Parts: sequence; structure tokens; C-alpha cells
Amino acid sequence: MGRLGFYFDLTRCTGCKTCQIACKDKNRLDIGTIFRNVRDFETGRYPDVDCYHYSSSCNHCETPACLTICPTGAIYKADDGAVIIDAELCDGCGKCAEICPYEVPKILPEGIAGKCDSCKVRRDKGENPLCVDACQTRCLKFGDLDELEAEYGPDLVNTLPFLPDPAMTNPSILIKIKDSAKDENYREKYM
Amino acid sequence: MSKFINRLTSASISRRDFLKGSAVATAAIAGLSLAGCQSNTVSETTEAASTSAAATTAAQTTTAAETSTAAEVGTEHTPLVDLEAEGTWLPASCWHNCGGKCLVKALVKDGVVLRQKTDDLKEDTDDNPQQRACLRGRAQQQQALGADRIKYPMKRKNWAPGGGDNVNGDLRGKDEWEQISWDEALDMITGEIKRISDAYGTKSVLCTGSNGGSVMAKLGEYTGWWGTASFGTWWAIPGVLGIGDCCIDVKNLNDRLDLRKVDTVIAFGINPAWSSLGNALNFYRQAKDNGAEFIIIDPIYTDTVSSLGAKWVPIRPATDMTMLLAIAYTMLEEDDPDKNPLIDWDFLNRCCYGFDAEHMPPDARTDENFKDYVLGAYDETPKTPEWASEICGVDPDTIREIARKLGKDNKVALLTSWSTARAYNSDSLPQLFITIGAMGGHFGKSGHMTGVSCWNYAANLGPALVTAGTSNLPPSDRQTYPATNINGTELWDAVLNGKFKANQMLQYTLYVYSQWETFFPEEVRTTPAPEAECDIHMIWHDAAATLQTLDNMSAGIKAHRKMDFVLSQSHFMTTNSRYSDIVLPVTTMWERGPSFTSGVNRDIMLVADHIIEPQFEAKDDSWICDEISKRLDVYDEPAFGPEQQFFNQMAGCKVIAENGKDFEPLVTITADDIKELNVEGEPQEGRISYKQFMADGLYQVERHEGDNYGFIAYEAFRNDPEANPLCSHTGKIEIYSQSYSDLITNHGYNYLPPIPKYTPFTCGYETTFKDNDIHGEKSDYPFQAINSHYLRRSHSILDNLPWLREACPNPVFISQTDADAKKIEDGDTVLVSSAYGKTLRKACVTERIMPGVVSLPHGAWVDMDEETGIDQAGADNYLVGGNPTGIGVSGWNTQNVNIEKYDGKAIPDDVDVPQRIYF
Repeated sequence: MGRLGFYFDLTRCTGCKTCQIACKDKNRLDIGTIFRNVRDFETGRYPDVDCYHYSSSCNHCETPACLTICPTGAIYKADDGAVIIDAELCDGCGKCAEICPYEVPKILPEGIAGKCDSCKVRRDKGENPLCVDACQTRCLKFGDLDELEAEYGPDLVNTLPFLPDPAMTNPSILIKIKDSAKDENYREKYM
Repeated sequence: MSKFINRLTSASISRRDFLKGSAVATAAIAGLSLAGCQSNTVSETTEAASTSAAATTAAQTTTAAETSTAAEVGTEHTPLVDLEAEGTWLPASCWHNCGGKCLVKALVKDGVVLRQKTDDLKEDTDDNPQQRACLRGRAQQQQALGADRIKYPMKRKNWAPGGGDNVNGDLRGKDEWEQISWDEALDMITGEIKRISDAYGTKSVLCTGSNGGSVMAKLGEYTGWWGTASFGTWWAIPGVLGIGDCCIDVKNLNDRLDLRKVDTVIAFGINPAWSSLGNALNFYRQAKDNGAEFIIIDPIYTDTVSSLGAKWVPIRPATDMTMLLAIAYTMLEEDDPDKNPLIDWDFLNRCCYGFDAEHMPPDARTDENFKDYVLGAYDETPKTPEWASEICGVDPDTIREIARKLGKDNKVALLTSWSTARAYNSDSLPQLFITIGAMGGHFGKSGHMTGVSCWNYAANLGPALVTAGTSNLPPSDRQTYPATNINGTELWDAVLNGKFKANQMLQYTLYVYSQWETFFPEEVRTTPAPEAECDIHMIWHDAAATLQTLDNMSAGIKAHRKMDFVLSQSHFMTTNSRYSDIVLPVTTMWERGPSFTSGVNRDIMLVADHIIEPQFEAKDDSWICDEISKRLDVYDEPAFGPEQQFFNQMAGCKVIAENGKDFEPLVTITADDIKELNVEGEPQEGRISYKQFMADGLYQVERHEGDNYGFIAYEAFRNDPEANPLCSHTGKIEIYSQSYSDLITNHGYNYLPPIPKYTPFTCGYETTFKDNDIHGEKSDYPFQAINSHYLRRSHSILDNLPWLREACPNPVFISQTDADAKKIEDGDTVLVSSAYGKTLRKACVTERIMPGVVSLPHGAWVDMDEETGIDQAGADNYLVGGNPTGIGVSGWNTQNVNIEKYDGKAIPDDVDVPQRIYF
């Protein structure tokens, strides 16, 4: 099996945030802590305008900065490449949250770090991450990136104008985009 | 159980225990969200802290051996625990009027909800998609288990029964609350009902919901209200013009598989991405994948426009009629039966009345016809695209292009939501819409359809393929009395001033649909509605959000303050409750017995189980009504209990047979089931066992291309209109409708012509100018406001859930052009004002909305600053006045407002506003 990761069809997502709420429920997250986040963008000028949304969680990077910096060894790669925080070993130092270019790890109110573990337990049972099965427009998938590219490619990308240089951590994501999502003059909206 | 939420509010249970699968920790961590960590969180922390501490200790003891793992990369890590291994998944009700109706399930252990999920019963395919819950359904636990639930009966401190000086009505909305016992509450309520009925008559009691109404109906004639709700002016259309409305009559469009055969979808105001979550957008996408092009006409560049890659045609709110008339003009101008056939003359001539002078209906009392009106014969104004463009803002060439696409040889779905008809004076809009579809002949054929596609049935119309049975509960023998219902647009003014139009007709038209003429014969519909008087002293709220979701809220608050007594049955301190004197805690559907979910899409049946015990002292609405009835000596013992009623519904479920015509029992019920349920009944054979259905929560009829379950609306009518008449007076589509004109004119608000003519709407586009002169100066309220349905809530329900408030901040949307002119920046606090009220919101400055239009999302709970009278929450109806027009339509998309940067203190994000927690 090749590298595993999330596929996101930006052309289909309507920004309904169902994945975000499903993730909060599954991980029992309080206000202020979001593991899977949906952001809203628009480009162009009236009436030649477009919009898109970006739903993201941990990218389970090939070279995860969080793992490298973790002083207690709490962050590890599971057998299938999922990057996971061992809550027993984490001392809440916050270095992972500082270094992750995607700002994924969060320091929880309980004083330890937390983030998406790609629903490893569900996947080990043959199920999808919960966000994938929650998606209203079926724009989220998880699986072997090569297979996902074969099915949904070939023009998939692993970055967007507002995301950091993917060379930093080699994120395990594939995004299907439209032209407006290439526009550097994007505007993020809170709607 | 009563301390359950208190336990949940504790933050001291460890996430480590949660990650080890501790059910206690799972519930407790859930509680963090339920409490919202607000400053006014429940103060009963002693027991909570000790309970949590005990749980933490227990969890730590049992897992101590696992905690000494070496802190090195590559070593053994703490095993991940299957958090779903504990508990039972039960189907849970998601009962809201949301435009969805999907499957929600709750993981329950020892009476505690650990988490939720949705439909995972089958493979998810285009033909048979899963019924996936939306963000609101997935946050349902925060409603059922909310820390802000009303926990005990409450009384307003400075109110006492007896009327007069005891009332202190001006303090409603600002007074403090005190906890009272159920007995105290019920005695006070009954005492007031008796006292007020004796002094002023039973008609002085206004019941806004059906529960209170059912009690008052046993005492005497009482007062209620009616309104066009979400339908707008589609409310009265169905029975009169013969066309479906997409609610009571869902046979108005072809089914979802036929939608795939359409070439062009031309749609006004549809936005399932926000308004009909579930599968509607996926069905439209399948049409797109099969080659359909989409043209969507809407003031907002919606996510539906974006995700379908639709051509966006921005249009000013409440001006759709001008564009439709110009489309008709273009079709008439360019149609050539030989060289450029656009108009389906055969369909118009055979199936419609009133299009031209040669096809007038036999009951017409004027000689005006639609074609001559469009060409300008009656007002010297041809309805050209140039004429329309000045008003609606759509450029003439775009109107012509759309008119050409509507030609008869193109397979067109001409669709609309109800939103364009939620406008004052829009009474002729549905008739005009149908007329345009009829001109292209887009009725009664595969790939052709015209009508409303929205709400729970969006993009999948046709008769239900599976239906629930009835409870078979016989009605009581006791005499009941009718309500006098006041139209919603004048309700609060009527309560304040004692006068209203007694127009009791159109409120029923919808419900008697095919027999409307039997109920309202010609002599009735040609008699003007009389002026009537009322003298309201008590308001009884239940299971509705009347003060919040009805027009003219500002007058409504004054009306509440005028009362002797206001009662509210409620889950939360809603707007209804805030302005009441006694608030009673009621159970959510999660706390009640098993139930069927009504209003589901045609493919499915949903059943929900009992999930949790009643929270604190909450009681069912039915229990409250029974207790009040007993005290008033009008209680009737039902013939049998809720268990038998539910069983009867279950046994009566029917599913379509493979032949697509007959219906068969859905549920297999064994003698053991009947014994176990302790009910009366006979075993029966069906498609799914009782136990499986109760475990799944869902039955879905499988669809595939070529099956027998497809539906083509009006096919028989089109083929032979004489043999298959519609339920209009003439049996045909009434482009000229004398009945409709008579009904609405005699409703009492204004004259309505029998053919669809455009006159400027009250609070429409023209009224944003001084003297309604669109070439002149702008007025004091130069913007048009619309109230879009919003992802955060279902109307006003669910607005208080912390997860949803965090995800959806509820801004007011304003165009970049207007914001620049007003020096408003993204995120600024802005004051939106109308002639009726003012509200504060943060601005979302966007290029996705037409300049001149602001969108204030529908349903936020009013939070009025008593000093300034300015609402802090963005409550849409606080800006809406009471403007009765036509059928008495609630005109939420016809509002004139101003918007400006607020020079006072910036408002916090909604998620940071404290929850309304009492006791």
C-alpha cells in the first residue's frame, strides 16, 4: 500500500461545515478547538465572482515537523503512516502547535496537544474517517493517494494559494481545484 | 438524572480517559461543549466537581498500569481504543422544519449520549444515496442536552395572577425569574385561563400553537393566527390554479431520475446548499453530470451557483415578475412556428385559459388576456426586456437569452423556491411563473417541468413511495369550538388595536386542496371579508416560535407587554419565553417515546426511538395540556396510550409494490413483537422486520433507471385535459383566473387582477427611491434586505447551539461596492435599520451579493437593548413591519433598510455571547 491521505474535491464542497461538526462530536471538542476546519474564500469582482471552501485537518505529512520536534516522543507515525499524538506521553509543551506550518495541533483545555488521527481506529475496522462519511456533497475521501489520483486526477494539487510551501512537510493531501482556487488575490470570509 | 447536565458541565475529567474509551469521560467531555464554558454557567458545581473527581480517580486507577510507557520514538504507544465499542446506536429524531429530514443516530450507554452518527446502512451511490445528516443534525445533542435547557417551571418575579396592578407587563423581557413547582405553575395557569375567559370571553385567549389550542377549543371559541409561512404567495395557489405547491401537493414536478434528462435548468432563488441539506444538491449535480446547464437567478452568488458551475444572473429582490414578463414578451416577439418555434401553442390552446383573446375561460368577467397585457395593449407599456431591466437589474440580452432557452424544443426544468414569493404584493408571481412554463410547454413530459422545488422535497418530487400509518386514535366525543384566526401580518397590530380583517378563507385553501371549491363556492369567494374586532388578554405559546418568526416583532413585543398573562412551553429561553410570565420546561423528541418523522423525502421513512430520560423537570407538551385540562374539568381519557398509537402507525406503514402502482405493508410484525410491546394487533408480513426497522431508523426504497417508481408531473393532464382536469375552477391552468382574483380581492387588502400584472411591491425596489421614482433620489432606506435561510439553524430552532454558533457567525452580507461607499470594512459592527427597528451585526463584505441588496440571515433570537431599543442579535423580524397585502403574505424578502458603520461599541461574536442559562 502506498501513502495514505485525504482527497478533497474543492469543486464540490459548499462549505456546509458538516465535517467540522462531525469531527467536533467524535473528538468531543469544546468551543475554541477545531480539528477539521472549513474556511471560506472568494475571488474576482462582482459580477464575475467565484467562491470556494477548504476543508482541512491534519495532513499526516510524510515528513511531519510536529513529530520531529516533539521532545517526549508522544507524536508518532502509525503502521499506515497516520501521524498520531499519544496522549499519555504528551506533556503539553506546545512545540508541535508552534512548528506545524498548517497550525494543526491544538493545545486542549486539558493541557495536552490534540489533533486529527484520521480516525485510525475506524480505519482499522475498515471504515472511513468520520468526516468522509459525514460529507454532504461527497467531496472528502481518504485512501491510497496513488489510487485516489488515478480515480480523480490527473490535475490534483497538494497546496493552495494560502497554504505553506508543501516542500516543508510533504503533506499527504490531494485537492481537486478549479481556476478560481489558483487566484492569488483570494479573500477569506467568515460567513 | 436531574443532575446529568451538571455533571456534564465539569471540565475536570481527563481527555486521556476519553481516549482510553471511558464512557464517563466521553460524556463529560461532551459536556464541555454543552455548557459552553460561559460566565453564567450553572453554579451547582459542588456535586459536579465531586462526581467528576470520583470518575477521574476511578479511570486513573483502572489504567495506571498503562501509563508508564517509555517516551521514545519508535517504542510501544498507548493503544487506541474503539470509542464506539461501548453503548448502543439508536435512531434519534431530527424533527425540525429544516428542508432536510435525514437519519440521525445517537450512541447511548446507561442513558447517556456519547456521540452521534448518520446513515451508514448501505453503500452510498447516486441512485441510492445515504440520507446523511447535516451540521445541524449532527449537533442535535447540544439541543437535547443543552446546558441552557429550561430546567424547572419558572415565573417572572414581578408578575402575579389577577390582572391589573399585579401584571407589571412593561417588565416582560427585562424582569428576573424565580423557580416554581409544577403544581404552583399549573394552578396559576388554570386560574388565569378561568379568570380571563370569565371576564373577557374565551376569544380573549390567543393560542399560537396547537397544544394550547386543543385545550381552549374545549372551553369555547378562541383566537389563533394563520400566515403564509415559508410558502409566500404559493400558499393559496395550488387549489385555485390547479398547480402543486411542493408541500401539500408534491406531484408538481418530475422525480429525481427524470431530472437527469433535462437540458437546461432555469431556477429562481433555489439554494439547496443552504436551504435543503441532504441530497437535493446531489440530485442537481447528477443532472449536471448528465450534461444539463444551470442558470440560477438570485441576488446572491450562492454555493449552489458555485458548485453547479451555474450561470449566475443577479436580480434585485421582488422584481422577478418584471423579468418573467420580459421573457414572455421575447418569446412572443421571436416565436415563429415554422422557423423559430419557441411557444408551445398546442399546450397553451388545449390546457390553459386566458393566454390570448381566443382562449378566455367561461367564467371571465373581464376581457383582458395575458398576451395583450404583455404587448402593452392595456397600459401602453410593452413588457420589453429594456422595460424589465430598469427595474430588475438584469441586462436585456440576458433576459432574451433565457427566453430563447425556454423554447419548446429544449428540455427545460423551470424551477423556483418559495423565496421569491415571500414578498408583499407577489400574489400574481406564482401564476406568472406557471404561465412562462406553459408557454414553453414544460409540463407533463419527460425532461420538461415547471414549478416549486424546495424544502424537504427539493429535486425529488412525486408521490411518496413509502408512507407511515395513522395512530387510529378516535377523537373525543366532547364538543369543540373553532378558532378565529388572524392573519400574521396584522396579528400584533390587532392585539394592540383590537381590529382586523376576518378573512377566514385562504388560510384553509391549502389544506382542502382538491376540494377547495366545495368549501368556498362562488358566493363565498365573492363576498368581501368583514372588519372584525378582538380583545386579547392572554397569549399561550407552545411548539412554535411565533414572536420570533412572525412579521412585526417590534409591535409583537409591545403586544406581549399589554397582556394580563403570557404562558410559554419551551426548551430554551426563546423569544416567546423571554416575553412571557410563566415558562414551562418541555421535553425534546429525544426524551419522548418512539415516533415517525413527518415530511421526509419520497424515497424514505424515518423512525426514531426514545434516547434519554426527560431532563430535569421537563414534561411533554401533551402532559401539560392534560394537567391543565384536568384542572379545567375538560380532560378526556384517550381510548388508548401512545404505545398503541405508535404501533398502529408502524403496522400501517405502506411501501410501493414493484409494479409501481400498489402499496404493501412495510413492516413485518410477529406475535412476539406484539407481546413484547404489550399492544393489540395482528402479525403481518412486510419488507423489513419491526426490530430491524427500529435498529436502522430508516427504510429507503431502492431506485434505478427504468424502475416503476418514476414520476412525470401532469402527464395525464397534458395528454387529455378534459379527461384529467386539474382542480382549478375550469379544470385547466388558469392564466386568467377569475376565482383567484375574487378570492384575493375579497380577502380585503387590495384588488388583484385575474391575469398576472406587475405593480411595484410594498417595500420592494421602487420604494427604495423617493416617491418611488427609480430615476430619482434614493430614500432614507435605500437598500433592499432579504432574509436567507442560514446554515446555523432551522428557522429559529438550533440558533443557540455552541458548535453551530462557532461554525456560523451570522453576519449581515453587504456588497463590496456598497461597503466602500459606506466606509464599512469586513468584520465591522454595522447598524441595520428599517422604519420598524434597528439591529447590530458584523458585516461580511462580499462580491457575492448584488449591490443595493443586503442579506440578513433568517431566525436569530432577538436580544434587544432596552436602553436604545437596538437589537444585538440580528433578528430579522425586528426590522419587518406589519404590511397586509394580497393574501396576507409575510413579505420577508421585501424590506427596505439602511446600513451604516456603528459608532457604538463593537458587538462580540455570537459564540462569545453567554448562553441563556437559568437555575
